[in-house]
Amino acid sequence: MTFGRVLMRHVGVPNSTSLAVYKADGGYAGAARALQMTPDDLVELVKKANLRGRGGAGFPAGVKWTFLPKDRTVTYLCVNADESEPPTFCNRVLIDSDPHLLLEGVLIAAYATRTTVAYIYMRGEFCEQFHILQRALDEAYAAGYFGHNILGTGHNLECYIHRGAGAYVCGEETGLIESLEGKRGWPRIKPPFPAVEGLFRKPTVVNNVETLACLPHILTRGLDWWLSIGTANSKGPKMYCISGPVNRPGCYEAPLGLTCRELIYGADFGGGMRDGKQVKAVFPGGLSMGALRGDLFPKPPDGKVDPKQDYDELDCALDFDDVRKYDLLGLGTAAAVVVPEDADIRDVLLNVTRFYAQESCGQCTQCREGTAWMYKIAQRIRAGAGRRVDLDIIEETSRNMGMIPGLSICGLPDGAAWPIRTLIQKFRREFEQRIAAQEPGAAQSLIRRTNAAAYELPVLHGRAVQPAGGTFATPLDVAPPR
Amino acid sequence: MPKIIIDGHTIECRSGIPVLQAALEAGLAVPHYCYHPGLSVVASCRLCLMEMKMPNPKTGQMDWAPKLFPSCQTPVRDGLEVRFRSDPVRENQQHVMEYYLLNHPLDCPVCDKAGECYLQDYTEANGPATSRMVEDKTKNPKKDIGPHTLLYQDRCVLCSRCVRFCDEIAGTGELAVVGRGSRCEIDVLPGQPLENPLQGNVVDLCPVGALLDKGFLFKQRVWLLRSARSVSPADSRGQTIWIDYNEAGIHRIRPRYNEKINEWWISDEARFGWKHVHRPDRLRQPRIRQGVALQPARWEELPGLLRAPFAGVAACASPAGPGGGARLAQPPSLLGRGQGEGQGIGPLAAVLSPMLTCEEAWLLAKLARSLAPQATLVLGHVPVSGHDQTYPNGFTIKAEKCPNRRGVETILQHLGGPTASFQEFLAQAVEGRFRAAYVTGGYPDAWVTDPVAAALARIPFLVVHDLFPSALDGAAAVQIPGAAWTEREGTFMNCDGLLQPFERALPPLEGVKADGQFFYELLGQPGLFRAQTVRETMAAELPQFSEVFIPRDLPKRAH
Amino acid sequence: MSWRTIDRRTAAEQDLGPGLNDAVKEKIRSFFPRYPTKRAVLLPALHIAQDALGYISLRAMRELAELLELPPSAVLDVVTFYTHFWTHSRGRKTIVLCRSLTCELMGGGRVREGLEQRLGIGEHETTPDGQWSYMTEECLAACEHAPCLLINEKLHKGVQAEDLDRILVDPENDHLDMPRSTLFDAPAETKP
Repeated sequence: MTFGRVLMRHVGVPNSTSLAVYKADGGYAGAARALQMTPDDLVELVKKANLRGRGGAGFPAGVKWTFLPKDRTVTYLCVNADESEPPTFCNRVLIDSDPHLLLEGVLIAAYATRTTVAYIYMRGEFCEQFHILQRALDEAYAAGYFGHNILGTGHNLECYIHRGAGAYVCGEETGLIESLEGKRGWPRIKPPFPAVEGLFRKPTVVNNVETLACLPHILTRGLDWWLSIGTANSKGPKMYCISGPVNRPGCYEAPLGLTCRELIYGADFGGGMRDGKQVKAVFPGGLSMGALRGDLFPKPPDGKVDPKQDYDELDCALDFDDVRKYDLLGLGTAAAVVVPEDADIRDVLLNVTRFYAQESCGQCTQCREGTAWMYKIAQRIRAGAGRRVDLDIIEETSRNMGMIPGLSICGLPDGAAWPIRTLIQKFRREFEQRIAAQEPGAAQSLIRRTNAAAYELPVLHGRAVQPAGGTFATPLDVAPPR
Repeated sequence: MPKIIIDGHTIECRSGIPVLQAALEAGLAVPHYCYHPGLSVVASCRLCLMEMKMPNPKTGQMDWAPKLFPSCQTPVRDGLEVRFRSDPVRENQQHVMEYYLLNHPLDCPVCDKAGECYLQDYTEANGPATSRMVEDKTKNPKKDIGPHTLLYQDRCVLCSRCVRFCDEIAGTGELAVVGRGSRCEIDVLPGQPLENPLQGNVVDLCPVGALLDKGFLFKQRVWLLRSARSVSPADSRGQTIWIDYNEAGIHRIRPRYNEKINEWWISDEARFGWKHVHRPDRLRQPRIRQGVALQPARWEELPGLLRAPFAGVAACASPAGPGGGARLAQPPSLLGRGQGEGQGIGPLAAVLSPMLTCEEAWLLAKLARSLAPQATLVLGHVPVSGHDQTYPNGFTIKAEKCPNRRGVETILQHLGGPTASFQEFLAQAVEGRFRAAYVTGGYPDAWVTDPVAAALARIPFLVVHDLFPSALDGAAAVQIPGAAWTEREGTFMNCDGLLQPFERALPPLEGVKADGQFFYELLGQPGLFRAQTVRETMAAELPQFSEVFIPRDLPKRAH
Repeated sequence: MSWRTIDRRTAAEQDLGPGLNDAVKEKIRSFFPRYPTKRAVLLPALHIAQDALGYISLRAMRELAELLELPPSAVLDVVTFYTHFWTHSRGRKTIVLCRSLTCELMGGGRVREGLEQRLGIGEHETTPDGQWSYMTEECLAACEHAPCLLINEKLHKGVQAEDLDRILVDPENDHLDMPRSTLFDAPAETKP
């Protein structure tokens, strides 16, 4: 099936970030159409389109909008551009090439939700993207798409870009709201949900960049077009990211339901593994969704499967439902990272555990202590001093740290537990081989040395700051074994 | 009153409270750290999770939901069914306790909190005794965060109660959580220490030994302490307190929950307002003037010594000289008429300190009036410092630094007759209107200013009943040592008219008699002074004293 | 329990660091109309302050607290939560190295070793000449170009350990060649 790129149609087009180029290609027509509808009709349209949120959880955007109380006077729209899930970069690609598509989506969503102030929460690491989007916003203001009495409809909308400063948890919608309010990004307890009591304690909608970018196309191309794309319960195009040692790493747009194998090997997508290596593992939806095995036998092309045979899991269709059959948490951001056969699985575990230990916000006990503990164990395993019981501990910890249904305020520990548990479960044999190949007695001798460096608080004003970690010294990193 | 079902038992509870609070009030031992009824709910410790019955979306039947819910965040509603006694709940508690102990130092032998530490208690009840973590624990230094408080960061469980207290109750926000994830710590901005007038509460709030009071540090093991229910004399609001003491004396003061006044908190004035009890210069025995010096006297001879001159003053019209006073070297000249007599003011005055309990004030007033129906009753010096301070949550520290001004006033109003304010009394004393006066003090701080001393020096027969030596020593004919409020029992009536009883923590200092007991003996009453008995006789005349307010105790397992 | 106690009650004058000048404060005030509360301006204000001073000094924290009507500890709270903000001075250029899974699989570990070797500093340290500081970040969202690093605002893509020599000597290595909005200035060159 040939599929015309929609969200990414301007990638590679010269000067695509300018309003002129965007308008020449039918830009802001969707917004103009939307502004002629009533907000309620617009919400109904998006509900019918079953536009599921692209941020990870896949909650239908239209349904989310209907949670807003009817009698509200102030509504805020927050755009989640805090794309922090490794290895996801589709929002960056979208803003790089088509900032006005996002802004048009913001305008439509704001009109549908009767919002007059929208904040785009953009992660602090996006420097170039910030300037691109800010310039596009300035242009759009000048052209009358934002500000007072937009296009003569009487609708007002102020839009501001709010820069984050390096915290993964601010991608969680209530963490984002707290951060926007000028606090630490500790997710809030729910209820109340943001739709009722969100930003500045007012009804708030939080939508992902890619979700909003779909809106102009739904309006200009129509519902039928939209519903014709994708699988039964997952409609529309999706930006898939593929990175790691593949021939064509990058962001590719496809209808929902692309299989993992296509994403890696398809000529239009990843283009196969670099140097003909085999796949060991894939994290197909961002780290948090868990790992798929790629190191077993591919299914025969004729589809005749041998029930006694273990097959790899690359046939997982990347939509909102099929992933669950493969013990994944969900579609996530549909950003795959491929781990090649020659990578040490202990490195992968170390990297994954470190990420969550660094990014845990520290509010709930399980997540705060559990992620750090797992990182310490992973460090020791990597240093060649693992024990088989460590694998059990990590697996148990990841189970009780937070599995759906979660035990914590936000989903971060669930997202931390899932990849770690799937790694241990699916690659246990390799871990055990690595541990068996260690020097005898290494574990016992290292255990007492691991992390022996006492943790000293750095002086705030600078002279003595311990290396590694965040701005403050971290107890997480170990002194290298001597 | 909603009815909820916990572990199969139907419990009636107050509406609007979280399930956790209802469970605690029903006597259940639900572990929790971050929840505190006086603070906002953050639901971050994840210890109090419970199972809850919800409609199953598939069948529509009520069924146990597959998820655990934080009971601190779930409000009670009629018919709600929850359970804490189930495997998922217990497993969660065990896991969370293991996490808490990963980095917590096992330094209980040197930790002041040991014995009242909720990490100890919960570990004993739920948690594994050993940690499976083989790596070294995080060791971070102690932090000196304020004049009274020390932070042992490595013991912290990050419940954030102290931070919320500073934000919500004190409104000063000195404390903050800094860092992220497992590197989170409690801290102040350097140079902006924790020193608000309520700061001591963070030490009580801390469920573990992270925040400790420097004054109590390494002083006592808590299991060696006994607690007495008391009322703080620090201000006129009547904050209820626990006095923690043992045979060595008082060691600390903690807030005693009081739904009408101070809730869970007390001011630092109340918390540290006991140091004067153990001051070495306390008066320790009665003394009478012989020659120029005050000489020790025996308690037994005092009633006779005092009653006679007072009665003499009362009967000053009679030419008979005063009886008693044999041991007094210079019996005051009590003959002649007092100058105030023309206006119906007797030459005898009794100064009732607002530090006295209601019962003591009553007895002293009665004594004065029984000796001289026209005796002037004076409300003693009312110390005032600054203005009332009200904090965001409504907690108020009164400017009036005495506990019972209102109680004394009520008694004076009821008794009628000649009364005077302290200033009027001083002015009249300067004019020489009084022949004899019984002055009570009992203030923790020096209160006798030069004008007070000068005025009282004009009174020929001055009895001073006080805690400490003062400028009145030179003027007093008789000096009686008082007992501190920790050594007495009785009631204080706070500024809003609430009558609150308190019990004795310590015996009076050796050689000292409790004030009430002494007044009892002066009145010639037999037996022991019991505040309760006196209050009953008072109540016969004054209905305000028929009922005392005793705040309800907190649930045993709540903290 | 630790035997060491650190004093947080006092801060010596020389430890307070530089403060914010009026122009910076005015710029922060210009953000007030964007939000209904002053507290919400904290994050933009910290960006502005860090661009001006190179880091968030204690004095800046106090001044920001005053400007935004916050308790001073609230500023410390936020500053330490976000990895972007430095609480001690840093070099003229800051390298932010990505260590996401993709970047590590593609050779990021070698880049990190090469960088630490060439600069002779560890994370959150500054070279003695005041030129370079270095930190890592969990993901820069440029995984198709892994391994990648940021020098101030400029993203360097597909950096291998061998490329470091070339990148480090390039005088334009932190120059973002694009029209920029004036709302956030490029980080000012700070004196170490």
